[in-house]
Amino acid sequence: MPLDTSAYSLALLRVDGRRWNELRRIHAQIRTQAAADGSSYLEMGHTKVMCVVNGPSEPGPRRGGVATGGGGGGGGGQSKNAEVAVNIVIAGFSSVDRKRRGRGDKQVFELQSTISQALAASLHTHLFPHSTINISLHVLSQDGSLLAALINAATLACVDAGIPMTDYVAACTAGSTSTYAANDEGADPLLDMNHQEEQELPGLTVATLGDSDRVAVLVCESRVQVSRLEGMLAVGVDGCKQVREILDRVVREKGIKMIQEGTVERGVGLNDMELD
Amino acid sequence: MPREAEPSANEKAFLLKALQDEQIRLDGREFDAYRPLELTFGDEYGVANVSLGKTKILAKASAEVTVPFADRPLDGIFTIATELSPMTAPHFEVNRPTETEVLLSRLLEKTVRRSGALDTESLCLVAGQKCWSVRVDVHVLSHDGNLTDAACFAVVAALRHFRKPDTSMENGVLTVYTPAEREPVPLGWLHSPFCVTWSFFGDEGETALLDADWMEEQVRVASVTISLNRHGEICQIAKLGGVPVEAVALLQCTSVALTKVKEFSTYLDSKLAEDAKRRDKGGFMAELRAENDRVVG
Repeated sequence: MPLDTSAYSLALLRVDGRRWNELRRIHAQIRTQAAADGSSYLEMGHTKVMCVVNGPSEPGPRRGGVATGGGGGGGGGQSKNAEVAVNIVIAGFSSVDRKRRGRGDKQVFELQSTISQALAASLHTHLFPHSTINISLHVLSQDGSLLAALINAATLACVDAGIPMTDYVAACTAGSTSTYAANDEGADPLLDMNHQEEQELPGLTVATLGDSDRVAVLVCESRVQVSRLEGMLAVGVDGCKQVREILDRVVREKGIKMIQEGTVERGVGLNDMELD
Repeated sequence: MPREAEPSANEKAFLLKALQDEQIRLDGREFDAYRPLELTFGDEYGVANVSLGKTKILAKASAEVTVPFADRPLDGIFTIATELSPMTAPHFEVNRPTETEVLLSRLLEKTVRRSGALDTESLCLVAGQKCWSVRVDVHVLSHDGNLTDAACFAVVAALRHFRKPDTSMENGVLTVYTPAEREPVPLGWLHSPFCVTWSFFGDEGETALLDADWMEEQVRVASVTISLNRHGEICQIAKLGGVPVEAVALLQCTSVALTKVKEFSTYLDSKLAEDAKRRDKGGFMAELRAENDRVVG
């Protein structure tokens, strides 16, 4: 697939006109679905995902193809910790080529399992024994950084559902401007890769917990020089902090709006908070 | 659906206390030490038997001529099939892939196949019509933790040991020679990736161990599998959730992993050379003898 990422060195601008350290536009909404316990809609550039969280609730009948994590003993909801069940639906119209994915698609299963285990470590699952938290994610449009967008959307929906958690799990991708074969030292790291860049350049997905440098998810699926990992990881972790700020702002704005509309009571500790 | 037997609360507590208070692993290994890794090749080409402590894995490579995929007429077909049968552990069932199995096969796929270790273009015989389909079957004979590293080593060993029948094209006629007619040829191999898995323990994942056994795998809070080759290229990193770990610790893990991968690489090379020597009966002078039987092995 011949794409023109080689022009980067001329103006230091990427194919979509961003600099190396710029995120794409992130637009997020929470509480989009009235019927669900928690819901969110997130856009990272042209990657658009929706998330619906139900639970913690009594576990229903088990269905196949749902990755679960967090429960110490696993199935049946008999464990001390709540089970985090993640289900991902990738819409047929989400990418350029309509790819039919069977129920047993391993790649989707891996995504589900990753999100489930990443959130299980941040959510306080020990507060809800014998129960299940159902997270269902819908991919409406794909343009790179899919795993990152899914993690961010799931985090927002969990916040909306009011499930106690340690901190936001914020994710983004990072890449490198040089292809894996070339061993040039002058390669710049890139933040937040789109689909074109993901096809051509090595990259990784990082998710960190809150403001810290602690990495919850690190997935790299391309060949890259080991010396370039440090730069990519640093840029990725830094990007996660920016993403966390954006997610936090979305949650706060929605909270303020709900107080102003009178949907919820103004909390006792919130008297000094500005509502504009 | 049978569930995996869990270690008891006492066993878990004992292991964690030994690790965190005494800095000792239950089997007395160093934190960054592997269990003894052993590799034996079968009599046939492409059979590798790997044991890592009590974990035992058999990988067998095979090849057949088929029609290539319509969207990739110039590429051969390469598949890795993993099977965790009830022989491995009672909770594995036939035809119902567990999470362990799916993640293992994805990991092998990313490490060996997507990193381009096998040159699939060299498997093409007639563009769009005939190609080799190379398949590696991974059988887990005994499960005592760290299946990924052992399975990856076994797959790479089996593929590098494997010889496919020689072929020739003359006037549009494709001939596949039996081993008696022509010596089989090795696969087009580009680089040898190996997996190294770190397991993390403690509330913040501050203790990192290499090559966790089954017991340690049950207690760990997170793990990261790093695939590298000896040229220092990362082929894949997978930290799929779990307790968050400091980014700096992950970088350190990667650099230690690189030294381990170099050891694996040297070990595999020496084993392959040893096996080649064993199969080479008498060298060039033996080849020249009139009564030479062309079948080797």
